[in-house]
This record gives sequence, C-alpha cells and structure tokens, in this order.
Amino acid sequence: MSDTPHEVHESRILRTELLWAFGVGIFVAASLSMIVFTALTINVNPPSNVERIDPKTLHLSGEFAEQNLGTTVFGDGTVIVRAIATQFMFVPQCIAVPANRRVTLRFASPDVIHGLLITGTNVNTMVVPGFVAQVHTEFRRTGDLLMPCHEFCGQGHSEMWATVQVLPDDQFKPGADGRVSCAKR
Amino acid sequence: MPPDRTSAADSKREVADEADDAALASVMRTVPLGAAVLAGSMVALLVVGYLLIYTLVFLPRGPVG
Repeated sequence: MSDTPHEVHESRILRTELLWAFGVGIFVAASLSMIVFTALTINVNPPSNVERIDPKTLHLSGEFAEQNLGTTVFGDGTVIVRAIATQFMFVPQCIAVPANRRVTLRFASPDVIHGLLITGTNVNTMVVPGFVAQVHTEFRRTGDLLMPCHEFCGQGHSEMWATVQVLPDDQFKPGADGRVSCAKR
Repeated sequence: MPPDRTSAADSKREVADEADDAALASVMRTVPLGAAVLAGSMVALLVVGYLLIYTLVFLPRGPVG
C-alpha cells in the first residue's frame, strides 16, 4: 500500500521537525555542559548568597560597622572587602584589592535597593536592604576600576560611584591589623 | 465583500486556488529543507555570536561566583 501525497508531505515535515529538535537538543546539552564545566574548573557561578541582615542596625555594630568597612586580609590569606551602598555613596569610596588573588566582596544597604558593577570584570550584583550581597572574584589586571551604582536609587544616583584599586602583589601590603587602604596617587 | 452577497465563496478572488497535486508535491520536497536551512543558519549565527562573546569577553574578565 503506497502512502498518499498528503502522508508523504506530513512525513517530510515531521522529519524536518525531528532534525530541528535534535539540533536544539545538542545545543542545549552543549550550553549546559559548558556552564557546568566552567563552574567546576574556573569557579564561574551566578552569585547566589542568601544571607539576611537588619538594615536598620547594620551600621551600629557587627560586620558592617564603620571600623570594619574596607579591605581586610585574614591570617589564612583570605581577602574580604566590606562596603555599604547608601544614598548616594559607597563607603568606603575607594577599595584596594590584590591582583590575581581570590577576593570576597560583601555589600549591604541600609536604605533602598542599589546595584553595582565593576568595569572590566564580571562583578555585577544588586544590593537589597535586608540581605548581604556577596561576590567572589579574581582581578586579572592592575589599575583603577570604576564601580558605579547601576540601580536607580534616587536623585543623586548618578553621583554614586566608587573606585576599585587593583594593586600588584608588591604594593598590596596589609597593616598589622590586616587592613589595606588605597594607595595615594 | 459587497453587502448583497452572503458568502465570500461567491467571489472567485476569495476562494483558494485549487491545489495541483504534482505541483504541491514538488514544492513540498524543498520547502521543509529550505525552512530548516534558513532557520538553522540564523540560529547558527546567534550561537556563534554568543560563543564569541562568552570566550573573548566573559571568560577573560575572570571568575565570578
């Protein structure tokens, strides 16, 4: 029994659709493999820290009190940067970080939703009141990088930016208390 | 359609052409392939653009997580 022309057309269309679905399947599998591969080999992950903090009191005591802001190097070599994003400035205004070392950046907001990115890097996060925004990264080039607020936060939003100073190893010298400040230029 | 007509089928212009089976068969031999080539090449362009940005811009900017 031979197929009618209508059935032949349908089978051709079906074959094309299956071929297309196969191609899409390959692409999706390849994309997912690449995401998993880069996550496992070079630590590229979406920032996904969920950590609560009381925005009304974060400046009074604890991690985000004024004396703890900025860059701190701990005994085991861990580098942690803590900064507050507030209307309409980052505190501190300049952040010193080492080149080619893993750095943990932690941000909190006491007022409204802010956001930030560091130019020339993949650092890009929202800073939501009530939560600590945490990003791990490694700066590959030395020099001054701009860190603007990229979430409209009020009338002074366009004036809200800070500098990230990426220092080579020989200039990144923590003091006795482990603190590192930006070099005067 | 003029108001005194009750159906669009009254007008020859509104009725679909009769399909000639042989002509339809010849068209249907190439149409699915042509659609696949057109859509495939456009998607391939998008994928190439994505891969270029991923490998030449995103990865050199360093790890993030």
